[in-house]
Amino acid sequence: MTEGTDFLYPFIEGGEQDAAGLLADLATSAAAKGAISAHLQAVTLADRDAVMTTLAQAMAQRFSAGGRLFVFGNGGSATDAAGIVALFRTPPWGRALRARSLVADHAVLTALGNDVGFELVFSRQLIAYAQEGDMALGLSTSGNSTNLLSAFAEARRRGLLTLGLAGSDGGQMAASSDVEHCLVVPSSSVHRIQETQTAMAFELWSRVQSLV
Amino acid sequence: MQLDDADQSVQSDTAGRLVGHLPEDLASASMTLARRFSSHATLWCWSPRWPQHAEHVAVEFVHPVIVGKRALPAVAVSDADPITVLRTLVEAGDVLLVVATAMTTEVAAVLQRAPAWGIETIWLGSGPRPRFGLADHLLWFDDLGDEAAANGTFVLAYHVLWELTHVCFEHPGLLAQPMADEACADGTCLTCADEGRVAEVVELHGPFTLVRSGGETEEVDTTLVEPIAPGDLILVHAGVALSRLDAERV
Repeated sequence: MTEGTDFLYPFIEGGEQDAAGLLADLATSAAAKGAISAHLQAVTLADRDAVMTTLAQAMAQRFSAGGRLFVFGNGGSATDAAGIVALFRTPPWGRALRARSLVADHAVLTALGNDVGFELVFSRQLIAYAQEGDMALGLSTSGNSTNLLSAFAEARRRGLLTLGLAGSDGGQMAASSDVEHCLVVPSSSVHRIQETQTAMAFELWSRVQSLV
Repeated sequence: MQLDDADQSVQSDTAGRLVGHLPEDLASASMTLARRFSSHATLWCWSPRWPQHAEHVAVEFVHPVIVGKRALPAVAVSDADPITVLRTLVEAGDVLLVVATAMTTEVAAVLQRAPAWGIETIWLGSGPRPRFGLADHLLWFDDLGDEAAANGTFVLAYHVLWELTHVCFEHPGLLAQPMADEACADGTCLTCADEGRVAEVVELHGPFTLVRSGGETEEVDTTLVEPIAPGDLILVHAGVALSRLDAERV
C-alpha cells in the first residue's frame, strides 16, 4: 500500500492503469466467444438436420395451402421473433410468406397483460387470429416461459403446427406434448442460445424457401 | 475477466464468427460504452431497417440476463423521423449505436450530427465499409451481406458488446481515466486544432445564430453561409460559420 491517500484510489495502483492490457484481454475474450458461438451453431445445426428437413416440408405445405406463421417470445426472444417474421415476410430473396409477430402490437399486449394476465398474452391472440392450417413458433431460452406454454396448448387445440426453439435442457417445452417439434440449443448461456436459435430459424427459412 | 458464462470451458476448433479487426474493435467500443455509462450516459439504439436489433440491444442493457449485473439506460428509437427524436432526447456524452449496412442512405444524415450533439457513435453493419470517420467505432462484418442481420451474426456482436462492457465495470479505475480522444496534450484534437467544428442550427437571431456544437449551445455569426434554417449543419471556426455541410453520401 502506498502512502497518504492513495489507498482511496486503488486505480492508481499498477494493474488498474493498464488499459491496453484490459483491451487485449477483452479482444481475446471476444474472439473466444465468437468461436464458441460458431461451434455451438455448427454442432446444433448438424444434430437437428433431419428434424429441420421434416419441419421445412411441413411448413412449406402449410404456407402453400394458405397457412400463416405466428411467432412469439419474451424480451430478447421477442425481438428475435420480430426478426424471424421480417425474414419470412420481407425476405432478402425468394417468396414473401405470411408471418406475423404476436409481440408487435403494444395495445393488444398491454390490454391482455393488464386484463387477463401476462401468461395469456399470446394464447388469447391465437384465439382471436389462428385457424387450423396455421403455424405457431415460440422462442424461449429456458423452455419454461408460461405464456409460451399456454400459447402452444391453445395452438394445439386449434390444429396449428407447433414449433418451439428452446435452450439448456429444453425445459417444459421439450417435455410438452403441445410442442410437436422442439429444437433445443444445448447451452447454458442465454446469449449463445439466442445466437444459435436465430441461426436455426434462418436455416429453416432457407429450406422452406427452397420448397415453396 | 470472465463473466459467469458457463460455456467458456467449451473447446472449439471451429473458425470463429468474430475475426479480423472485430475482437479489437469490440474491445474498444465496450471500453467506450463502460466509460460513458460510468459518466451517466444513455445508450441510444437505432436500426432503420431492422428495428428489432435496436430493441434487442436496449433490452439487453436494461434487463441483464445475468443476475447481479447492473441495469443500464439504453433506449431503442423506432420513430419514422429519428433525427427529430434524437435531437430532442440526446445529451452530450451519450452514445448512439446504429445497426445498418453502409447502403442504408439515411444513416449518414444522422451520424453527421453526432459532433454537434456531442455524442459518440458505434456503427454495426456488414458488406462494403462506410467512409472512414462517419462513426467513432465500426463493428463491421466485411465478408457478409444482409444475411448477417438475419442469421444471428449481429446478435452475437451486440451480445459480446454487452458482455465485454460489463467486464470493464470490474475495472473502475480504468473507467475513471480520461479517454484517448479527450487528451489534447499534443494539440491535435479537434477542439484545440485550427479546424472547424460541426454545429447544428437551433434558432435564427438576425446575423447571429444559436447553434449546438459538442452538445453545447452558442451564438455564431452566420452571415457567410445564409440562407440557413434550423436543423442545418454548418462548420464553425472562432465564432464564425464558414461553410454549410450538405447531406452527404456514405
